[in-house]
Amino acid sequence: MEHTSRLERIIRIVLVALILIFFLFPIFWIFLMSFQTNEDILRIPPSPFFTPTISNYQALITGKLVSAAGTLDIPFMRNLWNSVLLSSVSVVIALILGVPAAYAFARFKFRLGEDIAFTLLSFRFAPPLLVLLPLSLYFQEIGLTDTYAGLIWVYQLIALPLILWIVRGYFEDISPDIEYAYRIGGHSWWRTFTRIAVPLAGPGIAAAGLLAFIFCWNNFVFALILASADKQPVTVGSLAFVTASGIQYGQIAAAIVLSVTPTLAIALYAQRYLVEGLSLGAVKG
Amino acid sequence: MTAETIQAPRRRRKTKLLPYLLSLPALLVCVGILIPFVTAVYYSMLRFRLNLPAMKGFIWFDNYINFLSDSEFWNTVRVSLLYTGLTVGVELVFGLAIAMLLQKQTRFNNLASILLLLPLMTAPALAALMWKLMTNPNFGVLSYLVQLAGVSDFKWASAPSTALFTVVLVDVWVYTPFIMILLLAGLRSLPRQPFEAAALDGVPRRFVFFRITLPMLAPYMITATLFRLLDSIQQFDIIYSMTQGGPGNTLLVFQVRSYLEFYQYTNVAKSAALLVILWAITYALSNIFIKQWLKLRERARGSA
Amino acid sequence: MSQKAKDFFEQYKAGKISRRDLMLGAGKLGISAATANFMLNAASTQALAADFDWKKFKGAKLHLLLNKHPYADAMIADLDNFKALTGMEATYDIFPEDVYFDKVTAALSSKSSQYDAFMTGAYMTWTYGPAGWVDDLGAYIKDPAKTNPKYAWDDVLPGLRASTAWNGVPGGALGSADAKQWCIPWAYELNSIAYNRKMYDKAGVQPPMNMPDLVEKAAKLTKDLGGPYGIGVRGSRSWATIHPGFLSGYANYGQKDLTVGADGKLKAAMNTAGSKAYHKLFIEMVQNSGPKNWSTYTWYQVGTDLGAGASATIYDADVLGYFMDGGDNKEKGNLGFHAFAPNPEAKAPTPNIWIWSLAMNSFGTQKDAAWYFMQWASSTEHDLFGATKTDFVNPVRASVANDEAFKTRLNKSYAGYVDQLAASSPGAKIYFTPQPLFFDVTTLWAETLQKMVAKEVPVDEGLDQLAATIDKQLKDAGLG
Repeated sequence: MEHTSRLERIIRIVLVALILIFFLFPIFWIFLMSFQTNEDILRIPPSPFFTPTISNYQALITGKLVSAAGTLDIPFMRNLWNSVLLSSVSVVIALILGVPAAYAFARFKFRLGEDIAFTLLSFRFAPPLLVLLPLSLYFQEIGLTDTYAGLIWVYQLIALPLILWIVRGYFEDISPDIEYAYRIGGHSWWRTFTRIAVPLAGPGIAAAGLLAFIFCWNNFVFALILASADKQPVTVGSLAFVTASGIQYGQIAAAIVLSVTPTLAIALYAQRYLVEGLSLGAVKG
Repeated sequence: MTAETIQAPRRRRKTKLLPYLLSLPALLVCVGILIPFVTAVYYSMLRFRLNLPAMKGFIWFDNYINFLSDSEFWNTVRVSLLYTGLTVGVELVFGLAIAMLLQKQTRFNNLASILLLLPLMTAPALAALMWKLMTNPNFGVLSYLVQLAGVSDFKWASAPSTALFTVVLVDVWVYTPFIMILLLAGLRSLPRQPFEAAALDGVPRRFVFFRITLPMLAPYMITATLFRLLDSIQQFDIIYSMTQGGPGNTLLVFQVRSYLEFYQYTNVAKSAALLVILWAITYALSNIFIKQWLKLRERARGSA
Repeated sequence: MSQKAKDFFEQYKAGKISRRDLMLGAGKLGISAATANFMLNAASTQALAADFDWKKFKGAKLHLLLNKHPYADAMIADLDNFKALTGMEATYDIFPEDVYFDKVTAALSSKSSQYDAFMTGAYMTWTYGPAGWVDDLGAYIKDPAKTNPKYAWDDVLPGLRASTAWNGVPGGALGSADAKQWCIPWAYELNSIAYNRKMYDKAGVQPPMNMPDLVEKAAKLTKDLGGPYGIGVRGSRSWATIHPGFLSGYANYGQKDLTVGADGKLKAAMNTAGSKAYHKLFIEMVQNSGPKNWSTYTWYQVGTDLGAGASATIYDADVLGYFMDGGDNKEKGNLGFHAFAPNPEAKAPTPNIWIWSLAMNSFGTQKDAAWYFMQWASSTEHDLFGATKTDFVNPVRASVANDEAFKTRLNKSYAGYVDQLAASSPGAKIYFTPQPLFFDVTTLWAETLQKMVAKEVPVDEGLDQLAATIDKQLKDAGLG
């Protein structure tokens, strides 16, 4: 990279700028929208100049939408909380189940090992709807309909294969020598796993967890079909601003902004793990 | 790799069971899902509409055979594959280009790569809503900008000629960051020596890219492509919320069709049969990719 | 409650202060909106209580599935009265309209007993009924032990009663003698013209007389206004595109969706010469003066555009225009309403209707208690409360529709709405042929319309293909 000419540097800067505009402009625009009244949003042509209002956020956070037609309740914060709860518990469970399994596939060659690994990954192949249709019937029978537990179980379909796949690759690229040395020192297998293997794979686990979290967060159809209104995530909750007396565009925008915030916060916090963690062979040295 | 060497010999019996013990809980959790899966396969062999209970009956593979002569079905196959090919292809090229631009570890590049993840954090259903607002013909900012640029009759998702472009655009916007971050991680973890040696020898950069970078990056690209492929061929959220499969039948991909078949027409059997076929296609495609991936890893390990 | 607060409500009842002022004043006195509504209707609730044991299911807990809609809001505003009247608990799940019916299908198809009653439309019961998901309410209505003698079922407009009753035979006439009452009409909308009076004045245009006139005027408006488009109609790939203005006009031209043969077999009827001529008019109208994004337009975009001044006319639900004429909309107070007979030879409008109704979950475990809720929610008292105090329009009961307070209120704020309603409602009913493939047929129809508007297929050919496809599907389902 040292031999870059001036022209190339300029091209690079322009390209990065274009990329940032393409990916960030929509978010920026929605962000602006979230501070506008419906009247401002519906102006023709659209304009970036307006008097900002926090009324949209106020309505979402207090759960009261005051309009000419009266006061409406909007359970958006409840939706947000559901998303946090469903996604984080699902990811934690997926990690508890997935990390030991990933370790087993990476460290041991055992009969049917590859088959089990492939079976687990193949749950990702099943179209969500295929499973969902009969599942809603069975859930009814075993009483899992409309429970967080049932939803979290189904969310494993999203989280578990992703975690298995990424963490397994990470384990495989860590040399087993360190673990071996520790074992020779007289430590139990379990101690080796928790004290050496897992910490070494930390960035990989963190990155896989974050990606799984994002995919759980973005899910739409599972909760819609399997749970009642008080357990719906933000993805469903954000549609609630379409009412017969008009669409609350400003609140839709504010809802989108709020729904992105928690994941963004986690991503910013975990950013140093993210790239490193996904690089699988990074520590191979 | 000799995994057994880690284990002390006298505990061999226990260690033989260990990997099963470790992977079993994960498997058990997922196997529960197999029951509905089998049920769905059974449904696909019935004549079964919830609102015509009288005609329910077992018809073996008739639903599948009927598809063969159904031009609507082939349209669905064609659109699904086209959509998958376009989105995965564009996202791979874009993702790779962006990853290479941001390869150098600088504060700016690190910040940019995190900011670029923002679209991925926007749920596809909500992203579709966003783009719908932005492409609204009256107050949508994109419609306005396109008009300023002199294109007055661009109808985004509402015209058959541009609908595919629009949904692919949204998909690319949402998922390119996923591929970008995986490939960026891959690029940054590549060993330096081959590149330094090539630079010393004055090897042309195009040669370096095609002969060194790409092959070394292959496992990452396969992982990224695999995950995108699985999601893309099963696309639902974006297309359904933007056009419900229209205009006409332009965007009637598998999941949109089977969703309509079930939740609107209550045609359980047809819906299930479509999904089983989708599952088969996905399974076949992933198999190819995973085999490649395993092969590449073996080779990489062998040379290491 | 303080004397001051009581005075306040007395003033309101005497018509001295507006509802808005009442609510604001009540707010200042520390009375929440819910309490205020509760007190408003408490008097009529007491009237309801006579001669009938409303407390029979005291302590029962009902759970309802509702769509996010002003009708649901109106019911919730009055719900405390139901609780006080019956001593029952009533909780509810509200889902956004975009996903509401999918949620209903999901709940019912999994035989869930979670919900006791839910909101629905008549078309949906053509699926729910044969599938065995909803109960025939006729049995409850006729049972004096279960239904308040003052319930006055006959007060519900006959067209609405018939439209929500079907014998379950594909193609069977709605409201026939052997029909089952799958749901109870709650509030309804008929399809007619709502227009922006300011824009019409500016362009020097009178409300359209018939379809060819509408096509012409919409084009003129689009051209002359320079910005807003002439006519808003729905166009998304869904049954919802077919049932409003489109089918109302289609019926006015004497066209049918399906015909029923002597043998009871159904046959598609979209490929007649009359149908093709009507389609051509409609398509020309959309192409020349419809919204640019027509093929993704649902009712709320049609409404928003009218309210925001982006369109001059809509041919859609009358209440949609009503909602856009109030609230925070830019064009509020500027809209006019107009009964519309598209066929130049027709004597009167034939609006197709959408009826928000209440249905009972067959898998519910406390059906008698659920019926108590349903009869309260569809009672004259609640209907009157909703129609005069909230946006529960159009009322399904004749006594409420003719109520002076209701008419005065509407006439004051919504120019021509009452006249429109009076002119349109005699011909208002469901013009579809009831049959289980309703959603298959209408979705295909919308798909074909989209193709024809996009000029992917000529109208004649498109409709021939459509009829052939539908005939095949009917045959596959054993109906054709």
